Amino acid sequence: MRLIILITAVLISNLGLAQNYYVYVTAESEDEVALIKFDGKTATADKTIRVGYKSVEIEGPHGITVAPDGEHWYLSMAHGNPNGLIYKFKTGTDEVVATTELGLFPASMQISELTGFLFCVNFNLHGEMVPSTVSVVEPNTMQEITKIPVGTMPHGSRISPDGKFQYSVGMMSGDLVEINAMSLEVSRVLPLDEMEMDHSKMNHGEMNHDEMDRSKMNHGNMDHGAMKHSKTKPTWVQPHPTNGNIYVAGNGTDEILEISSSEWKVLRRWSTGKKPYNLDITPDGKKLIVSYKGEGATGIWDIKKGVELKKISNSRLVSHGVAISPDSKYAFISAEGKGGEPGSVDVIDLKRLEKVASVNIGKQAGGIAFWKMD
Amino acid sequence: MRNLTLLLFAVVTSITALAQNVILKPESDITVIPVNEKKQLVVKAFDNDGNELKGGDFRYFAVQLKGVAKNMIFSKGLDVDSVGMADATAVGEYDVMVIRVPEKGEDFARIMHKVRVVNQEVAEISATGHPDPIYAGTIATLNVVVKDKSGTVVENPEVAAISSNSEVLEVDNLYNVFALKPGKATVTFKTGELISKLELEVLDNPVADIKIEVDQTTARTGDVLSFYCSLTDKAGKKISDIPIQYTVQGVASEPGSGSAATILGNRFVAEKAGTYVVTASTGGISSSKAIKVVDRGIAREVNLKGHGSVSDQHTSDLWVWEGIDGKDYAVTGTWGSNGKAYFWDVTDPTSITKIDSVQVDARTVNDVKISEDGRTCVISREGASNRKNGIIIIDVSNPRDVKILAEYTDRLTGGVHNLFIYKNHVYALSNSERYEIINIENPKKPKRVGQFVLENSAKSIHDVWIVDGIAYSSNWADGVAMVDVGNGVAGGTPEKPVEIARAHIFGDANHAAFPYHSKETGKKYIIAGDEIFPLAAMESTNFEEVFIPAGYLHFIDITDPENPMEVARYEVPEAGSHNYWVEDDMLYIGYYNGGLRVVDISGDLMGDLYKQGREIASYKPYDPKGFVPNSPFVWGAQPHKGHIFFSDFNSGLWSVQVEPIVPQDTKIETR
Repeated sequence: MRLIILITAVLISNLGLAQNYYVYVTAESEDEVALIKFDGKTATADKTIRVGYKSVEIEGPHGITVAPDGEHWYLSMAHGNPNGLIYKFKTGTDEVVATTELGLFPASMQISELTGFLFCVNFNLHGEMVPSTVSVVEPNTMQEITKIPVGTMPHGSRISPDGKFQYSVGMMSGDLVEINAMSLEVSRVLPLDEMEMDHSKMNHGEMNHDEMDRSKMNHGNMDHGAMKHSKTKPTWVQPHPTNGNIYVAGNGTDEILEISSSEWKVLRRWSTGKKPYNLDITPDGKKLIVSYKGEGATGIWDIKKGVELKKISNSRLVSHGVAISPDSKYAFISAEGKGGEPGSVDVIDLKRLEKVASVNIGKQAGGIAFWKMD
Repeated sequence: MRNLTLLLFAVVTSITALAQNVILKPESDITVIPVNEKKQLVVKAFDNDGNELKGGDFRYFAVQLKGVAKNMIFSKGLDVDSVGMADATAVGEYDVMVIRVPEKGEDFARIMHKVRVVNQEVAEISATGHPDPIYAGTIATLNVVVKDKSGTVVENPEVAAISSNSEVLEVDNLYNVFALKPGKATVTFKTGELISKLELEVLDNPVADIKIEVDQTTARTGDVLSFYCSLTDKAGKKISDIPIQYTVQGVASEPGSGSAATILGNRFVAEKAGTYVVTASTGGISSSKAIKVVDRGIAREVNLKGHGSVSDQHTSDLWVWEGIDGKDYAVTGTWGSNGKAYFWDVTDPTSITKIDSVQVDARTVNDVKISEDGRTCVISREGASNRKNGIIIIDVSNPRDVKILAEYTDRLTGGVHNLFIYKNHVYALSNSERYEIINIENPKKPKRVGQFVLENSAKSIHDVWIVDGIAYSSNWADGVAMVDVGNGVAGGTPEKPVEIARAHIFGDANHAAFPYHSKETGKKYIIAGDEIFPLAAMESTNFEEVFIPAGYLHFIDITDPENPMEVARYEVPEAGSHNYWVEDDMLYIGYYNGGLRVVDISGDLMGDLYKQGREIASYKPYDPKGFVPNSPFVWGAQPHKGHIFFSDFNSGLWSVQVEPIVPQDTKIETR
């Protein structure tokens, strides 16, 4: 189905027809999802969808993804009792189809076209520095199949182009985790910090997280101040569509890491703007788009050269998510804003390297997913 | 054009790959496993021609059904290891995901397989609960339980019960035993081929005379009356320990109200005025007493005194206190906006005046609390732009010039929804998982000293309130936890809180809790409040649709904390309960769309307090200039020096006063 969408995109693009682009964007502090329509010139909020069911509690829609066949979209809700939920909606009508409970603060997610499973990281942003999990969901029945233990505060959840692997990064454990999307087990882990971590006060060798009984742990007596967490603070991972490399946002060290999936090592580190957060790569494989959360800007990188082509200011100070149109022409950037400010979605023309449209949505614009072109 | 060629090639390749299907087939459509037994699940792989594919790596995953939309919350009753050994621990139907990791060149395949866990063969019928001895002329209800060979209880069994001597006793299909006359009889229970017998002996009922008594024969609606009986035998000797059945009949004075009275055991309460007859009976003789019930007659007018308008955003919680200068102040939070908290001078409740504010990096300041000495305010943060959230500590020694002293975020980054201050410690909720305990003796340098986490898998804490060193946390489906944080009853301290007891709250929606000690009766209660929003709201995409909340206040008698009992409720129809306060046997409730409610909770409590006319007053704050105009949605209420202050989600801070009780023989003179 994705191929058909790509073909359609290329055909429309080659024929020079006028087209509309649609992206779904979450507003995390508004409990809303906005459907943004961009006609090549102007971006508008075509529809606002209320999500959640507690009128006086913010449930926090965070991660969003559209199924490969474009028929449904999936939304993670960060806050629950205490676990968050994942919702399944019908695209277009935006009706709720089903929900299921995942882990603490479920966040980014994607579906493997090969296995059909949805992989969602349980970000656990609640302050307790403990290993978390990736939930695997069967999207048709919306049943959680299993939770796979990974690092601390896993974020970014992206599938390799062949659908065989899911990648996430441990924001506090500082590692890149590869999950075999077929066997549903961790296949490789790559530490991303350059020996900066001081684990001298932590004996990981003796730790068996699988058999940890958290109810018997006395976190009150743990010296969290003595624990050093990842300096790199990786926040996103994006496999390249064709070159076999994986790109990671080093939010703590202001860099992009280029990692060879075959050699399983860091090839290059590029210095970036402040606090790179989310990434996406154009389907043609040429450009890497990076949101800089620390400076309210977006960087556009030439992947082959490892050079930032341009940095573009966003409409709000806290840049968040990135989605790219299948024709590689436009990047859609969500920017959270602060306090009572509305969130925004900026549209960047990737050929002209300039912001061409912007639209306000609800507060704390976050997760963003491309739906369709017509 | 080159792109297009590549893509078309890819499509052709893709279609070719799809043709190499692998089909997984279980040995049977549904695998049936008796409970408490293990069974190896077997799934095989075949190609499109039906040839079995050897090799491949099979993985099995037991699926937990969970969800909110259809209330699908099940405990796990089937464990399956990765190679398919199923361990059935509870009766039910389960799904198992079976995956085949392919050999090289084959396709990935998966299948969802159904497993049904059933009871083993029934092995035991037990019938318990009857009094011993059984006296003629009494009724007893048996508790009939069927277990299978593994000791697992069989749910909803069909068990026939037959008496061997229907002149001595009869038994109905609900297992009520009617003792008719002295003698012996056997009750035979049968399910399938399994038979069990219960020998019963009915004794002569010695009661020759019964006389029902009650301390008063007139009462108000909502008054709980306890009846008792004096029993004597033929010789006139007083006897006891004979089961007595109390019944009530009568008609309410108000047409169409029916009987509207209840008797539980020997305790009577009426919801409507009328004349009711309570009858005590045993052994075929009875005694009755008539009770005249009058309207409680406590309704009073509410007068609006003042309004501090907040019309540009939602308002959340409030706290009213006497400042160190002797004047009265209030603080209110804001919701889903720009992180502000407002400070008000409410010394003159008719002139509520905004005197200062703080703005913090947050979208919601959900909770606001003031220390006992009136010097320190702590507010909660949700939606901080740096996602660290936590709490903000503010010096309110001069409420006209408040100063932020410290920000504290450690282990509170997911957001703080509620908090409480007690004896220089802040108890702050961390994402429904736990409450963190932070020492603020030096408010500029808050220091974490402990935490409390529920010892179960759900760990969902929503609120905490502390009185006399006991923290009452509200925990949704886990009810109310009573935790010693300094009372001493269990040796608890802020550094090492100790749970004393837990009260389950019917409905699994416990949102708030407030302890109440009735000095009049000596009884202790937890008033536990629901917060319920309809699941329809989750499934709606109509942004303009207004969803009416639900829920009520549950009165849990914890006089014996080991055996908490839910004894009463206060439920306003078509409205939803939220935050509340108790002072001097009066309950002040923020009842969301039901407005402010003031309720008389004096005396013994039983049944539905709303229907009993225990509501003293109500007030709905309509504000045409509100953030949402004319939409009362009262968040919480607090009495203070004879006035009631309450915050409204859509319109800010209000003060009202309930008119004083006018003695009935007082002549009111008018000019």
